[in-house]
Amino acid sequence: MALISTRALTKRYPGGVTALDGLTVDIGEGVIGLVGANGAGKSTLIKILLGLLPATDGDARVLDLDAATQGGAIRELVGYMPEHDCLPADVSATEFVTHMARVSGLPSGAARERTADVLRHVGLYEERYRPIGGYSTGMKQRVKLAQSLVHDPRILFLDEPTNGLDPAGRDEMLALIERIGRDFGITVIVASHLLGEIERIAGWLVAIDAGRLLRTAPLTSFTERTGQLLVETDEDAAPLAERLVARGMDASASGRTLVVDVASGGGAKHAVEDAVRDDSVALGLALVRIEHGRHQLEDLFRDDAGGDG
Amino acid sequence: MSASPETTGTIYDIGYRRYDGPRLGRRGAISAIVGAGLRAVFGLGRSGRSKILPWGSVILAVLPAVVAIAIRVLAGDIIELYSYHNYLWEIGGLLPIFLAAQAPELAVNDMRQRVLPLYFSRPISRLDYVVAKLGALTIGLLALTLLPVLLLFVGRVLAAEDVVGALGDELGFLPAILGNGLLHAVVLASIGLAICSLSGRRAYAAAAILAIFLVGSVMSAMLTELGGGLQNLAPFAYPLSILDGTRQWLFGESVAGSPVSSSDVPLPFYALATAVLLAVSWAVLALRYRSVST
Repeated sequence: MALISTRALTKRYPGGVTALDGLTVDIGEGVIGLVGANGAGKSTLIKILLGLLPATDGDARVLDLDAATQGGAIRELVGYMPEHDCLPADVSATEFVTHMARVSGLPSGAARERTADVLRHVGLYEERYRPIGGYSTGMKQRVKLAQSLVHDPRILFLDEPTNGLDPAGRDEMLALIERIGRDFGITVIVASHLLGEIERIAGWLVAIDAGRLLRTAPLTSFTERTGQLLVETDEDAAPLAERLVARGMDASASGRTLVVDVASGGGAKHAVEDAVRDDSVALGLALVRIEHGRHQLEDLFRDDAGGDG
Repeated sequence: MSASPETTGTIYDIGYRRYDGPRLGRRGAISAIVGAGLRAVFGLGRSGRSKILPWGSVILAVLPAVVAIAIRVLAGDIIELYSYHNYLWEIGGLLPIFLAAQAPELAVNDMRQRVLPLYFSRPISRLDYVVAKLGALTIGLLALTLLPVLLLFVGRVLAAEDVVGALGDELGFLPAILGNGLLHAVVLASIGLAICSLSGRRAYAAAAILAIFLVGSVMSAMLTELGGGLQNLAPFAYPLSILDGTRQWLFGESVAGSPVSSSDVPLPFYALATAVLLAVSWAVLALRYRSVST
């Protein structure tokens, strides 16, 4: 069953800006990457799904609840981590997360217990009794994550969760998100414009551009092989290309790199690789690199996106 | 796709624990905000310094009642400095101080530090949030607008020779005591929170609240001095005299020294002015909190 589904969801802001344009998508379990450039409509979509923003047209359901009319019930069962700073400076993480758990509807005893649990899970220990104002950016991100997780949501919406973090902080945050999805069994929707990060944690991707659905598919299908072999040599690769073409293969060289269409090798396993090896030995060329070309996630957002996907 | 919780049981048993207990929803959320708000109003769970003003104000507000009862017990019915109807007017100066010190604690930081989106992503609406904060501040203010007068009430009953008879005599005042205390608390909380919602810092909010009452009080006194019809406007310059006029309209008994007593304006106009104060405050709150982006 889809945890989230939208039908022709459209949002036009009063200024005439169209943030979502007939978006229809079903989202299942797992770690889901919601990718798109800044302004593609990611945050707008999340706010509509949380029941915080009315859609102009179409409808959205979360956990089989209508986002337009049952927002309160949805928000009881989902967690949200906004992109921007949102923490009070003068209270401790423990105090703040406990309070947020209670505002999520947990009784006070459960709120305290789960706060202790969740702060441990996100990696806040002794610091949790100190005022948040003195925390590093990484620690603040963890508190933001903890407050979204404390009431044991079914779905977690994270809006650009690695914003402002240094490389080490990013790695830790991504590892945490992966663990929440995998070990905690909570579906995580990660909105991000950083494809490289999404690639590392998401199992499924929803790509939107200018408020429209570009593509929704398992991550692997976004990055599958292109069917081309990339060869890099230490000298000009043109003679190698000539010999390969003479074998009837579809090859072209540009400087010291060469691209061969694997299918043109006649279907035999490693036919192209073998030919490249034999011909470069014959030419006395040293091979620097041989690899199968893969689609890049970035290809999605090029003008010809989806054309050959 | 990730497995369902059942199949990952061995992993989360030693790590993440699910929550299957009760979820109290919107009602639980509102009571949590009111509770936390009350703690903020009285500086509970905070440094000793942040308890000085709220508790100091409460003690000063209660003191006259205690003194009045003590005099009554020791010396009998010789003088009556404080009565039910003039009590709040006499301690009036404390109310703006308490309000200026404590209302910003409730509202300013949530807005300034952008915590509001975290509240709004929970089972409450924006209106619920504002109502909960107003509720907390109103209950907090009752410690000044109701508690001392109730003490006075209890003291007068218990200090009487015939307690049962005194209870019968005094019970008639109870609706006025409760009504006036609630009226002051609700109106002051609304004004205070509305001002806080417009200012970016606690200090500015506190200064603005104090300024409104201080300037109002001075203007009111000046208008009364000037006379020549201007004294009729005097009560309307100062929120506490508007409230005093409303009290008089609802429950009778004028207060000597209040600008209301030297004005010829019919009493219903004070009620009207109170309604306007409330309406403006609530409109400001509604508009301000509606415009907060999530």
